[in-house]
Amino acid sequence: MTPGTSSSLAVQRGLLGGLILILAWEGLARGLALPSYVLPAVSEIIWSIWTSRSLLAEAATYTLAEAVIGYVLGCLIGIGLAVFITMIPVTRMVLLPLATAVNSVPVVAYSPLILLWFGMGIASKIVMVAMAVSFTVFLSTLAGLDRVDRRSVDLMRSFGAGRVGILWRLRLPTALPLMLSGMRVATVRSVIVAIVTEMLGAYGGIGWVIFQAVLKIDFVQVWSAIFVASAASLLFFGLVGLAERKILFWK
Amino acid sequence: MRAISKTFGGTTALSGLELSVAPGEFVTVVGPSGCGKSTLFNIVAGLEEPDAGGILRFEGQSCHAAELLGRVSFMPQRDLLLPWRNVVDNAILALEVEGAPRKEARARALRMLPEFGLAGFETQYPHQLSGGMRQRVALMRTFLFERDLMLLDEPFGALDALTRAMMQRWLLDVWQKYRRTILFITHDVDEAIFLGDRVLVMTARPGAVKLEQAIDLPRPRRPDVVTSPEFIRLKRTLLETIEEESMKSFRSAEAPKVSQ
Repeated sequence: MTPGTSSSLAVQRGLLGGLILILAWEGLARGLALPSYVLPAVSEIIWSIWTSRSLLAEAATYTLAEAVIGYVLGCLIGIGLAVFITMIPVTRMVLLPLATAVNSVPVVAYSPLILLWFGMGIASKIVMVAMAVSFTVFLSTLAGLDRVDRRSVDLMRSFGAGRVGILWRLRLPTALPLMLSGMRVATVRSVIVAIVTEMLGAYGGIGWVIFQAVLKIDFVQVWSAIFVASAASLLFFGLVGLAERKILFWK
Repeated sequence: MRAISKTFGGTTALSGLELSVAPGEFVTVVGPSGCGKSTLFNIVAGLEEPDAGGILRFEGQSCHAAELLGRVSFMPQRDLLLPWRNVVDNAILALEVEGAPRKEARARALRMLPEFGLAGFETQYPHQLSGGMRQRVALMRTFLFERDLMLLDEPFGALDALTRAMMQRWLLDVWQKYRRTILFITHDVDEAIFLGDRVLVMTARPGAVKLEQAIDLPRPRRPDVVTSPEFIRLKRTLLETIEEESMKSFRSAEAPKVSQ
């Protein structure tokens, strides 16, 4: 079987699984006549998404903008830090424990402080996302940079390559697979962190919509926001995953 | 190089090794496993410094090992091709490091491809090539890095016997055309005699040169030279010496147990 057919088979199975889940959900909610604050039917949620589409689209754009900007910043910081530590090995002993200490607490725990310092607007969400993403990307990039074959380094040295040459032509490409898989995992994290931070204080976004809906005891709206958020998150994940496969053609 | 020694912690890998290679010469080195062949290579490649007191001379000038970095073209045992670069871009890696413009380097590599049996494969990636082809790409990378001395560390060790024989004949052809100086490590005595102008047999650890045997078989050498009486005679002499050294390293490995 070629990889192409096996991956399309996986897609088919995934779609089938999703369909069965939706039907079961719909049947359960309607069959047991559950009130919508317990579990609304899928059809009800989809209808609600359609009727409040402009609100949800605006909220999703807001959240995705925070997530993507924070994500890009976080990736740059994470990769930059990993490269820095690799180029100047003495800094590893200081920076690695420091980064681990900062991240030994869930990032969300910092949110009151970040909200205080950066305000209720988009800046605080970007900072939170960047923090969460940078650590994941930092660790995976560092692992990738460390994985380089000593003999390949020796070969490059015998060609007269310096540290920068070895970094550029050997270490970074060798680190790419791990770096990119870290970046793929970080996509989902970035959306989660953006939403959670919005729920703690914001002027817009999916998290804010969820929070408002809870206050109004509108649980169908909560579900609609969750559906939209997970769709946005999957899209982000899928795009980065696609880019990853294109870049790592030799794998 | 003279009086070269190298100690790692408590073990002495090389001790008082002496070796010289004349321009254009093909010198092969054989020895029992663990005799410090690779350490010798790392020193000549500039990757490791010998212990104090060793004398290295390169092109008539005495120098440190580190100064040899970038002056000797070195091919390690494994091909170490970069999986994200195609055949041509792997071959020009050393040229790129030197700062040669990519376009020029690629053009040079493309001209060389047919001689290395790689014509038509320029845009293939390493994972699409056979072991013999990968090895030829690695050799091409070494050849393109035009240095006066080429170091080959068991380049054909991982290949099957047929491919290996083919590659040996091919290497001789290429060498005769380009007339590079080659220092070639192997543990295959046939290969050492077939290729070399001179074969050096190393002693068991700590490594030094045990025997230096000139090979005056006429060139170009044909594959059937390996059955000539002259070849057999040389092989017998070399094998006896190696055997003696292998026994020594075997005994020294056993020695601690005997004393208990």
